[in-house]
Amino acid sequence: MKLFYSESNFSISYKQLIEDINRDKTYKYINNHNDYYSIFRDLIVSILNNSEIIVIDNDLSLQEVEKLKISENDLSLFIECNFPDIKDLSDLLERLNNSPNWQISLYTSGTTGTPKKITHNFSTITRMVKISKDRNNDVWGFAYNPTHIAGLQVFFQALLNLNHIVRLFQLPIKDIYENIEKFQITNISATPTFYRLIKDPNRKFFSVKRISSGGEKFDTKLFNDLKIIFPNAKILNIYASTEFGTLFASEGENFIVKAEYKNKIKVLNSELYVHHSLLGKISEEYLIDDWYKTGDKVEIIKEEPLTIKILGRESDFVNIGGYKVLTTEVEEIINSIPGVVKSKVYPKKNSVTGNVLACEVEVKDKTLTDFEIFTILSKKIQDYKIPRLIKIVDKIEITKSGKIKRL
Amino acid sequence: MVDKLREIINLILVKQGKSELENIDLKDNLKSDIGLDSLDLAELTVRLEEEFGVDVFEDGIVETVEEILTKLSKK
Repeated sequence: MKLFYSESNFSISYKQLIEDINRDKTYKYINNHNDYYSIFRDLIVSILNNSEIIVIDNDLSLQEVEKLKISENDLSLFIECNFPDIKDLSDLLERLNNSPNWQISLYTSGTTGTPKKITHNFSTITRMVKISKDRNNDVWGFAYNPTHIAGLQVFFQALLNLNHIVRLFQLPIKDIYENIEKFQITNISATPTFYRLIKDPNRKFFSVKRISSGGEKFDTKLFNDLKIIFPNAKILNIYASTEFGTLFASEGENFIVKAEYKNKIKVLNSELYVHHSLLGKISEEYLIDDWYKTGDKVEIIKEEPLTIKILGRESDFVNIGGYKVLTTEVEEIINSIPGVVKSKVYPKKNSVTGNVLACEVEVKDKTLTDFEIFTILSKKIQDYKIPRLIKIVDKIEITKSGKIKRL
Repeated sequence: MVDKLREIINLILVKQGKSELENIDLKDNLKSDIGLDSLDLAELTVRLEEEFGVDVFEDGIVETVEEILTKLSKK
């Protein structure tokens, strides 16, 4: 029996999924189910019906929903479909792949301003999906929010190869470890924040053969930690966003721009721009002469073939008395101190130097003090890069997408 | 207030391996006598603002301990 989806105490097979869909051909138009199975099921029903679906987070308040220009009535709207029964798995796959009018809208999870609505069709959202026989038995550890782009991409990668999906996102660490073992997970895609949460030098998971990391800056320290916990895994760094899905993948920090994207990617003032032809549908107001400004600062490593390294968000750069500091770079150094779980570096305004850095550090078993961290940093980085206000905290908050929450 | 100011200045000095001030003189110049650099002054202003709610360097650089205390007492 080929399994479709599992949580700790619940599993459903592809056969049961097909029966469930044949029995009830409706889906929630504003897909904000509380459970992952219902979200996935409704996505499939909407594709089979070749019609639109909108995904939003389940825990949005009515006020937040209104901001998305969705009315309270829409929230309870179910679409009744009348497509013929699915015969079997190959019929399911064939029909999924033949859904030219299907579209999915989602909202960027950015922390500032009004959320942006992005609409994808089947081909844009599955652009990076790889289908092959040797992927038949992949078991995916699902470590993203299912209503966000990264989660959707993992979902399609798994579904179109008829793989088993196992929930890992937002579970207690012991359940994450247990699910990886119990279901013999082979593939995990998650944010660096997720990996930092589960890293443990005393644990090894041999079943995992592929790890991908995206959504936040990847660093060498994390790469080495992942090598220990997943000794058999190939580690892939991914650059993706809600607007364009996955764009680059590499085994290190540098991305080589594929020849087919050569004229669709440009770097202007160290910032990455993506041509609109690579985007989902997006309001014109976000485009500058057909180009989308990503807000990501990059370094050109090589011109031919174009090779870039993502330095961080434009907003990650802070000016301290005339020096530009990249907060994520400082975080990377703090995170490399033994005993540090994760850190968040941010600017504090002042009238002397414009900004100074402050940081919150989550420390394992309270083994480090702010004083010790400062001393270690003063041996590793230039003075102006050292956070002057260091606060040891119990927990650093993370966003619904599983990234570190920034102001 | 003087004690709190000395406490904050000492915190800034000590973590950089500099020696603690036992006494603080009102006429002490923050840079030339106490040895604070611009990053130290930036940290000092942020810490003072957190403690007293006053941005002591708002109208330009303050030179002496006394000038800080004057600003803080005008709260």
